[in-house]
Amino acid sequence: MSTYQSALLGIRSCGDYFISTFMFGVMFGIAAAAAGINHWQALLMSASMFTASGQFAALEFWHAPLPLGTIALSVALVSSRNILLGMAMTHHFDGHSLKRRIVWLYLLNDPGVVTSFRLDQDVDRLGYVTGYGVAIMVAWLTSTWLGLSVAGIFVSLDLGAVDFAGPLVIATMMMLFARSSNMKATPWIVSGIVALILFEIDTVNYLVLLVSVAAGVIASIIQQHRQHG
Amino acid sequence: MVDQESTLIAIALMAAVVYLTRMGGYFIGLQLRHIAGIKPVLEALPGCAFMAILAPAVRQGNIIEITAMACVVLSMWRFNNVVIATGVGMAVLIFGGSF
Repeated sequence: MSTYQSALLGIRSCGDYFISTFMFGVMFGIAAAAAGINHWQALLMSASMFTASGQFAALEFWHAPLPLGTIALSVALVSSRNILLGMAMTHHFDGHSLKRRIVWLYLLNDPGVVTSFRLDQDVDRLGYVTGYGVAIMVAWLTSTWLGLSVAGIFVSLDLGAVDFAGPLVIATMMMLFARSSNMKATPWIVSGIVALILFEIDTVNYLVLLVSVAAGVIASIIQQHRQHG
Repeated sequence: MVDQESTLIAIALMAAVVYLTRMGGYFIGLQLRHIAGIKPVLEALPGCAFMAILAPAVRQGNIIEITAMACVVLSMWRFNNVVIATGVGMAVLIFGGSF
């Protein structure tokens, strides 16, 4: 299947996530307006970052003077899963020029990567993920704009829990990932347990992430050794 | 109120950070790909990262947030439909505070 056809397949396949991204985008627009960010700034944020959980995390610290270091670190931590998503796609983006990969990686997105694992081998993964990303980007931008536009209507509601939308997005990704993967869940369970333990003993955020992912990787390696003798 | 210059600097900084994570992982993976048996390990990584973020978030959550998370997980388990799961979760988050 050509890159173009694969991109079209990505666009066609994103129906569910197009709608859910739209819903989260509306919530982000409302939350951004509540944080005092004006329309074009919020739209610029959505267009340039293109990450629901990272943008919600940034809003947590959106007060004058902006704590740039804290904002950058929180966005980096929440977005660090992109490093792992990128690593997971290493074997799947072959056959494209370096320039194309560098530019198109801008549209790397969780649901596109997760759903690409269950595709036939002949689908071009970079085309698919990029097509998926283009469609999700359209949903994200239009819904951010809609959320900003209707924010006034929601002023009377208590939106304190809306910042939990980020973890909800990640939970849907995790469930989709788990259901579409042939892997055993052991590494993920190990990561979750280690993260909880480290969190309980007041470990700093970035260490919780690094150590628990490392524990999951070790569990995965042990699993591989057992399966292949 | 945050001034415009600070806002633009913050947006540029955040966009750069996010793009670096997207590109960085891929190029780190390119360096590691020749290690035998690395592929299944790399493909387990996103799930590990999701769980490492989710577990502390749920632990810190209040009753509404935990209920919303439970609804999302159960909806995904039962229907495997992102729209239903997201809709139910967001409804609990938005309207849960009223009860």
